[in-house]
Amino acid sequence: MWAMIVKEFRQLRRDRRTLAMMIFLPVLLLIIFGYAARFDVKTIAATVVGPQARTVAAALRPPFDATKIAPAENRADAVAALRDGRTPVAFVTGAGQTTALLDGSQLFTATAAKTALAEMSRGQAEPAGAGQAAGAAQTAQPFSMRVEVLYNPLLKTSDIMVPGLAGLILLFVGMVITSLGVVRERQAGTLEQLAVMPLRPRDVFLGKIAPYFLVAAVDLAIVVTLGVWLFAVPFRGSVLVFALGALLFLFVTLGMGVLISSVSQTQGQAIQLAIMVMLPQIMLSGLIFPLSSMAAGVRWIGYLLPLTYFTQITRGVMLRGAPIASLWQPFAYLALIGIVVTALATLRFRKFLAPSPRRRVRPTQPAETAMAGAEQ
Amino acid sequence: MTELLAQSIGATRVFGHIAAVSDVDLQVAPGEVVGLLGANGAGKTTLIRMLLGLLPPSAGEVRLFGQLPSLATRRRLGYVPQGLGLYDDLTPRENMSFAAAAFGGAGGERGAPGRHRPRPAGLAKRGVPGGQRPRFPGLAKRRAPGGRLPGLAPLPPGLESMSKITVGRLPLGVQRRIAFAQALAHRPDLLVLDEPTSGVDPLAGARLWETIGDAAAAGAGVLVTTHHMDEAQECERLVVMAEGRVVAEGDVAAIVGSARVTVVETPDWSGAFEAIERAGSAAALVGRTLRVPAASPEEVKRMVGAVPARVYEAAATLEERFLQLTLPAAGAGAGAGGGAGQAH
Amino acid sequence: MTRPGGAPDRVPAGAPDGVPAGLPGGVPDGVSPTWGVRGLTVWFGAHAALRDVTLEVPAGQVTGVVGGDGAGKTTLLRILAGAAAPDAGEVRRPPAEQTGYLAASSGTYPDLSVDENLAFAAAGYGMPGKLAAARASQLLERTGLAAARQRLAGKLSGGMRQKLGVVRAMLHRPRLLVLDEPTTGVDPVSRADLWWLIARAAAEGAAVVLTTTYIDEAERAASVLVLEDGDALAQGKPEEIIASVPGTIKISPERLRGDAARRAWRRAGTWRVWVPPGYDGGADGTAGGEGAADCVTPDLQDAVIVAALARELWAGEPS
Repeated sequence: MWAMIVKEFRQLRRDRRTLAMMIFLPVLLLIIFGYAARFDVKTIAATVVGPQARTVAAALRPPFDATKIAPAENRADAVAALRDGRTPVAFVTGAGQTTALLDGSQLFTATAAKTALAEMSRGQAEPAGAGQAAGAAQTAQPFSMRVEVLYNPLLKTSDIMVPGLAGLILLFVGMVITSLGVVRERQAGTLEQLAVMPLRPRDVFLGKIAPYFLVAAVDLAIVVTLGVWLFAVPFRGSVLVFALGALLFLFVTLGMGVLISSVSQTQGQAIQLAIMVMLPQIMLSGLIFPLSSMAAGVRWIGYLLPLTYFTQITRGVMLRGAPIASLWQPFAYLALIGIVVTALATLRFRKFLAPSPRRRVRPTQPAETAMAGAEQ
Repeated sequence: MTELLAQSIGATRVFGHIAAVSDVDLQVAPGEVVGLLGANGAGKTTLIRMLLGLLPPSAGEVRLFGQLPSLATRRRLGYVPQGLGLYDDLTPRENMSFAAAAFGGAGGERGAPGRHRPRPAGLAKRGVPGGQRPRFPGLAKRRAPGGRLPGLAPLPPGLESMSKITVGRLPLGVQRRIAFAQALAHRPDLLVLDEPTSGVDPLAGARLWETIGDAAAAGAGVLVTTHHMDEAQECERLVVMAEGRVVAEGDVAAIVGSARVTVVETPDWSGAFEAIERAGSAAALVGRTLRVPAASPEEVKRMVGAVPARVYEAAATLEERFLQLTLPAAGAGAGAGGGAGQAH
Repeated sequence: MTRPGGAPDRVPAGAPDGVPAGLPGGVPDGVSPTWGVRGLTVWFGAHAALRDVTLEVPAGQVTGVVGGDGAGKTTLLRILAGAAAPDAGEVRRPPAEQTGYLAASSGTYPDLSVDENLAFAAAGYGMPGKLAAARASQLLERTGLAAARQRLAGKLSGGMRQKLGVVRAMLHRPRLLVLDEPTTGVDPVSRADLWWLIARAAAEGAAVVLTTTYIDEAERAASVLVLEDGDALAQGKPEEIIASVPGTIKISPERLRGDAARRAWRRAGTWRVWVPPGYDGGADGTAGGEGAADCVTPDLQDAVIVAALARELWAGEPS
């Protein structure tokens, strides 16, 4: 039995990918739970509109931070700001009671805002302290305000999770399953046959990912439909905008899938790598834990991840009916990442299919062993 | 009276309705090299598994070292499967030390001094005075000078430079030598080898057969399973199996016997080929000549008709005879499964 | 005699499908190009997989490349098939549509059926559906695969899978058929069927090149190239290679000692020792002229072993 143990250890020592997973994963989880997994919201940006804007803004206390004071704007503008995702909270001041508009699609921020507002109005019941100006009694009014939660009035978790899950599914199908599909070809040895057939590398690459594209698209439609139907998640925005976002995101994930397969010799390795790439995205993309709550040292990772941007798009479109113009940032990022990843993936793919260009006879050149039949 | 190392008497094994092995008698005596020759599905693997004790016979008897196959008898066995049974991600040394430990300490002579290792049960039963194991001259020659570490078996010669490389990255010929060394390390009495020289060049193959011959000369019995004629011809005695039964036994000459084929020599070999095909027979291409097993020279002359050719009879090769024996006696011609051989 | 395989409108006798050799883009009438390599050198990093190898692959016959694992056979075939490019030397091969290739690792999709695999190949090579179906039927029928057409390729036995691979490679009647170890690990019955397919391809005028590790198979080829560690060890028709064995080979019933042991090898229960020309042996008893009683006529296996020994023992000297 001891011999078995020794042998397994020796094999494990050489299996770098499994080792990476065993060491990398706990470290990652620790970082996440240490720095990222927070629901508490420290600061809430707020836009204040209406004639009383300045007064109300001056009276705001943390966690609120009046980032925009616009007395000339009205409720409609405030609603637009919320819908476009420019601010999570807006105060609409006017002749009567101030209305606090909260963006329900940012669940934790909205909840925190609601709690903070409730506390503030409770606090106003106490008499003003000695240092207060005489006019304080008159300004007690602003904090007995009406709170209106837009876009997820019941603050349901499912409403924000379902759009996020849409992204998760596309991520899974795109990355894991595509990588398996290509690795399978490598393992079966048929990639070499393809290289010899009169097929263009571009045809092979596109032909390979097209079915996954379709499957992922169908998957997405099912998830969204089910979400809307089963969980009464709204779909307020344009289906076209949603589809465009999904398209871009798919390009990214499919490209990543092909990249993963190009560095994996077996399906097992492909899955390992795909998991290692997927896990940070689930945790750090704002899907579960809001980006704003994460410590800055970890938050930047989230800004690199494609899922972050896609989640912004899905939540924006489904919950807030945001127009495409307001979502230009996530779209742009996705397009950029998509181009980079697709370009890399095509290049790698080309290497497999086209004969390697004539190399000079340089004995010190590193070996191209991946597909060069070095086994024989 | 030498004990038979491996023996099957009327061994039969059925899976459902299919008899994988039917009534097979087989013996391997010490010092013999016996070849088990058969196509896939002929029952070779099933028979071997029965001999190794991995599968019980449905009928008949199977004996390993005179008894029923068991864990104790395993220690006296050396087995090199086709896949070599090596771990690709371990170095040769690591592989051998694992195997040595698994087989109970490499015969007891090697390993850390002072550690008590139980002698394999087979020793006591052998009746050899002093329980002395026969020396394997081939193996002794291959002991690497100074290449030993306590607890690790020595490598075959010439491989010290590769001791840090994992097996998966070594060439096949070297892998085979390691697999052999591993199987021989615990001085087995019976060696079972599955296609021992497939994939290696002729010189390396000849060297491997040297090792096998040395083991036999030292008293071990060797059972080789193969479906390649090159390997079959290295064995003293062949047992030919088809569809679970033994269809021929003996040395190569005995098996080929007086089987004949018709040879066709012609510059227009493709024309002759097509003509023979059209006539419903099968021709095999060898170089630029055709060999037709299932038809007499007169018949073939008729088939090729106008094509100018020299047609004569010649002795069949082992392979042709084998095909004759193993293909069912279907009608001559291009039927399903038809190949170059037809039973007469 | 080489059989011209180039003329596109000449249908070999007995080809009922009427498919002219070399689908689209045929060669001008009367020209029969010989494919092959000249001075081919391929490096993998610091290791030379092939060193200055020259090989002709004439149409209408079978050329065998034999050598052990690591000899460079697969590299050579990949270059011929167009899956890799050389570092030095010249390659003459037809365009992709007229090449058929069976890679050493099977080359069939395990999760597609026999028919589906062939359909993909036909489509990939631009072969019209009906034509492909007819030819496929004929080839599958003749090699015993007809009953397994709907079976997944992954569920076929090794021999059947290889047969499928070869059918797939020759379906579109390529001018050059490159088969990497088609018969390795295959049982004798399937091997016979495979050789029927190979013979069929050659009869149809294709230039067939295949690799094998077995000498008795190499003997079936019309011409042979023996590779070892990237070098051409011997080359030519089998009988030419045998005739070029220098010195003699003697049989000895016993194992030899001393210097002779390095020139000896075991074969079918006895020992054979190579006596190089002009060798005067002495005490080890292996000297003796051509007429000695224990001389043996070499076969191809002996010839290859002698060439390997010569290379091993007299590295650098021409054998």
